[in-house]
Amino acid sequence: MNPSEVKERLDAARTIPPAAEDASGRAPDPRGARQAGLHGDLWTAIALFSLTAVLILASRWISPSFGGLAQAKAILVLSSFIAVTAFGQQMVILTGGLDLSIASVMTMGGVLTFGWIGASGPALIWGIPLVLVLTAAIGALNGIGVVLLRVPPFIMTLAMGIIVYGAALGFTGGTPRGQPSPALSALFTGHVLGVPPVILLIAVFAALGTLLQLGTAFGRRLYAVGTNPAAAYIAGLPVRRLTLLAYAISGGSSGLAGILMVGYAGGATLTMGQGYQLPSIAAAVVGGTSILGGSGLYLGAVGGALLLTTFSTIISALGIAEGWRTILYGAVILLALLLLRDELYAWIGRAVTRPILPPDASARRNA
Amino acid sequence: MNWKRIRSCLLGAAAAAGLLGAAASMAPAQAKTYKIYLSLSYSGNAWQSEAANIVKALAATPPYDKMVDLKEVISGTDVQAQISAYESMIAAGADGIISFPVSPTGLNRTIHRGCAKGVLFFMYDATVTEPCAYNVSYITAGFGENTAQALVNELGGKGKIFLSRGVPGNSVDKRHTEGAMYIFKKYPGIHIVDEYYGMWSDQTTQEETAKALAAHPDVDGIWAQAGEDGAIKALLATGRQKLIPVTGENSNGFRLALANPEYQKRGLQGVSSGSPPATAGYAFKLMMEMLVDHRKLPTHNIQYPLPWVPASAVKLCPGDRFENGCNTFPEGKVPDSFVTEVFEPTLVPEISLQSALEGKPTPGATIQKLPATVDAAPDTPGINCQHCKPPKDLYRLTKVQPTVQP
Amino acid sequence: MSATTLPARGSAAASARRLLGNGTLIVAAIYLLLLAVFAARQPGALSDSSVTDLFNNALPLALAAAGGTLVVLTRGFDLSVAGVVALTNVLMATQVGDGAGGALEGLAMVVGVGLVVGAVNGYLVAYVRLQSIASTLATMIVTSGLALLVLDAPGGNVPDFVSYGLTDVVAGGIPVAALIALGVVALWLVLRRTDWGVALYAVGADETAAGLAGIPTRRVKFLAYCLAGVFYGLSGYMLSALTATGNPNAGNAYLLLTFAAIAIGGTSFSGGRGGLVGAMIGAATLTLLQKVLFSAGVSSFYTGIFQGLVMILAVLIAAISERLARGRRA
Repeated sequence: MNPSEVKERLDAARTIPPAAEDASGRAPDPRGARQAGLHGDLWTAIALFSLTAVLILASRWISPSFGGLAQAKAILVLSSFIAVTAFGQQMVILTGGLDLSIASVMTMGGVLTFGWIGASGPALIWGIPLVLVLTAAIGALNGIGVVLLRVPPFIMTLAMGIIVYGAALGFTGGTPRGQPSPALSALFTGHVLGVPPVILLIAVFAALGTLLQLGTAFGRRLYAVGTNPAAAYIAGLPVRRLTLLAYAISGGSSGLAGILMVGYAGGATLTMGQGYQLPSIAAAVVGGTSILGGSGLYLGAVGGALLLTTFSTIISALGIAEGWRTILYGAVILLALLLLRDELYAWIGRAVTRPILPPDASARRNA
Repeated sequence: MNWKRIRSCLLGAAAAAGLLGAAASMAPAQAKTYKIYLSLSYSGNAWQSEAANIVKALAATPPYDKMVDLKEVISGTDVQAQISAYESMIAAGADGIISFPVSPTGLNRTIHRGCAKGVLFFMYDATVTEPCAYNVSYITAGFGENTAQALVNELGGKGKIFLSRGVPGNSVDKRHTEGAMYIFKKYPGIHIVDEYYGMWSDQTTQEETAKALAAHPDVDGIWAQAGEDGAIKALLATGRQKLIPVTGENSNGFRLALANPEYQKRGLQGVSSGSPPATAGYAFKLMMEMLVDHRKLPTHNIQYPLPWVPASAVKLCPGDRFENGCNTFPEGKVPDSFVTEVFEPTLVPEISLQSALEGKPTPGATIQKLPATVDAAPDTPGINCQHCKPPKDLYRLTKVQPTVQP
Repeated sequence: MSATTLPARGSAAASARRLLGNGTLIVAAIYLLLLAVFAARQPGALSDSSVTDLFNNALPLALAAAGGTLVVLTRGFDLSVAGVVALTNVLMATQVGDGAGGALEGLAMVVGVGLVVGAVNGYLVAYVRLQSIASTLATMIVTSGLALLVLDAPGGNVPDFVSYGLTDVVAGGIPVAALIALGVVALWLVLRRTDWGVALYAVGADETAAGLAGIPTRRVKFLAYCLAGVFYGLSGYMLSALTATGNPNAGNAYLLLTFAAIAIGGTSFSGGRGGLVGAMIGAATLTLLQKVLFSAGVSSFYTGIFQGLVMILAVLIAAISERLARGRRA
């Protein structure tokens, strides 16, 4: 056996996906397991926020009106929908699943909001919780299919998306009817502390989301489930309930994105969620979430949403053919993925302090 | 096959007569029923459902209510799915298929095979290049060049503009934009500073316009395809005092904005034109006249008149119909995204707001005969013919004349 | 060192084969059941032309699903299918000459394009170790952009030789599409028995173990993506034959349907279990479902609900029968 083969074997051994260790039956240590990955995740988030800021400043080269507060505000507002859907998506990915029903559930949330809440102020008080509960219930159905019926997440959520879309189509007869809500619109047109309130809302949402992941038992257990479901089960964690909850959260956050979209667009259409399915995954993954589960931080996904929106804003300002813009968009996503690899943080980490990443932390990124 | 169906009808009637005895005289001399399929590619926006509702309402309006067996099929945005749907309809013995085709060319072979089996194909709004199908559409009526000229006129021949386009890689978007560019290129003072795709959706257009406005807050005008209401919302959301001319399609929200005196004072001007859902009703009636009255059409490509409502001509409707030249509904009666051009007094007088929103026939209405002539659409390659030459004056202005010279 | 010397090979391959046979048989049974419903509901459902239609409609998706399966077997996701189908479709409609020569030239081109995109994916995933879902999303976007550059609106002409020849019947009623599908199945049955084929399952089931056992895991994965790309190219080729035209947005519908077909076909998304034949029948099931729903009169707004339910049911039936089979053996 020659040296390169040995190296390859070692490399391969490092790419061991933690879930593949099921048989070992080792009980996970939620805190310990998280500690190592956490630094990388924080680095990712910091890198994404910095990159976004640099890009916004640098975009002055493309348009003299860019690089200012107006552009930053526009990007923050537009990224809010991706950021909110990415939360649920990430929670599901943390469990090792994937939610493909986000577009439809978001649409359903928007359609219901538009139809039920309308222009009425008081209706917001019961309407918003009701829409959130209903969309969370759809998410929970996904969860039931995944944990109880053992349908693969991919197919369960894809089928659920098709079903929910069909239901929304039948329910509305093709045209959602209702009234725009002035209160929801004010989230986007009003000003609090000099910015549209939705930006503050997203900031709070991002903080709460990250807190839920890091500061609560639920969050820490979820990482344990994603890292090694069998071990988590043996350790006595309620794996099924945790997974189900993650799907319910995803349904609810998609519903919230639908509610926000009604505020932004002043109406609902049956295509309103369509543009958010892949970006919700992309934001989570660019933000350092491993598609295999168990690793990723919401702050990073928010950074991913910001970066993707910044890219598309800048690219759409370039006076080039749509084909080239599309190519460029794909290329910068790829570039971001290449730049934001754990190897890079490990390198930065070594350069800045002591090594903070054990070798297997980088492996967890690779699907 | 038709004979078989008629025979079974007769047998059924005879059996009923035998059973009911005295009531036999109730069994009417059954007129032929026509098996018609309404094939949509996708549904889910106001335009698509209004167009489909108009067809459903007409099929339920006497005397068609007794003659038409209408089935709706929504196959999605996948060409293969619509091919499969057409195949099923042909196999099920359709007399006619009225359809919004997902692709101008991808369905041709299936349509061709259907024609050979005697199925009548009528496409509304979107078109196909297969010669045996009938296309009924406004696409060739010059939306792009006319609205572009209107915008140029408003801007006095110079200024920075956005092009808010439709769906990339779509032939209708291409035709509209080419028409518009034909005009814009004549004016060296017109600068297109941003060009984006709103996917014919208000919401996407709003997002894309917001991005463009962040880069170019100094824009002087917007030329938009469907989704224009989103462009207006994005403009208003910036909180700017000065509004700018916007041309777009027929959403109720856009027309209300155009007629809003406050917005007008702040500088909003423009014209509402573009794709009318009523086309579907016209196409359906033409098809039925061919089937029932054996009407012969002189051309397979029939042009639907281009709606044209400048800001000054917006007039609110007090009731549920377009009366006395009104063309817009007051706020709150319909969603902003409602596409207003569902009425056409000469072609589809049977239609009411209820028809467009719910697919129900207008009480008391009966089918009125169509005018004896149709407008032939000019040959437009990629739209209504495959290997053909467009007329030299394809981009001739029909609705507006230049008020400024280049 | 080659995979044939793996000590675990015999039992692993045997169990893989057993599971494959299982999943494939189940989806085949579901297909036949739907076909029976279709035949009962609609006269002429099994006529020559109707059967040819079924094959022609199913083949593009079946090829895409076949390619996707190879990647899913390695525990990856390949989203680039949408871009490659669109790109090869517009190339077929714009860059290819008439006659058999043109058809061959086109074939070489789609295989080449698929191979290049697949190699890029494979390199990024196997060697650079990017997450497959993210890097293939990027290549999907890039190839969709390329498709738009090649053709900015639906149009172009696919040579008649392809569009008529490959959707026709030969030898008195055998659809060409069926022969192509059979060819792919035959190719797979051969590939599955090669070192690479065995290694593919081993890598998907447990990459570490496979690596430790001396399987060049990176090369195995790289080749899986390459071959997947080739299948997507062929899918674009057959879509061009079906629609006889180019459309830069043609691939969009394939993205999720491909994965649905793979899942219905009994391939596990956690890698190492399933097979290409099942995925192809899964694709055929999805396209047959369109016809069944039509013939059952479920065609309008609520179609989606039935499609979704059938998808879940198909997977459930497969899972239950698999569990039963396993239980009986144990």
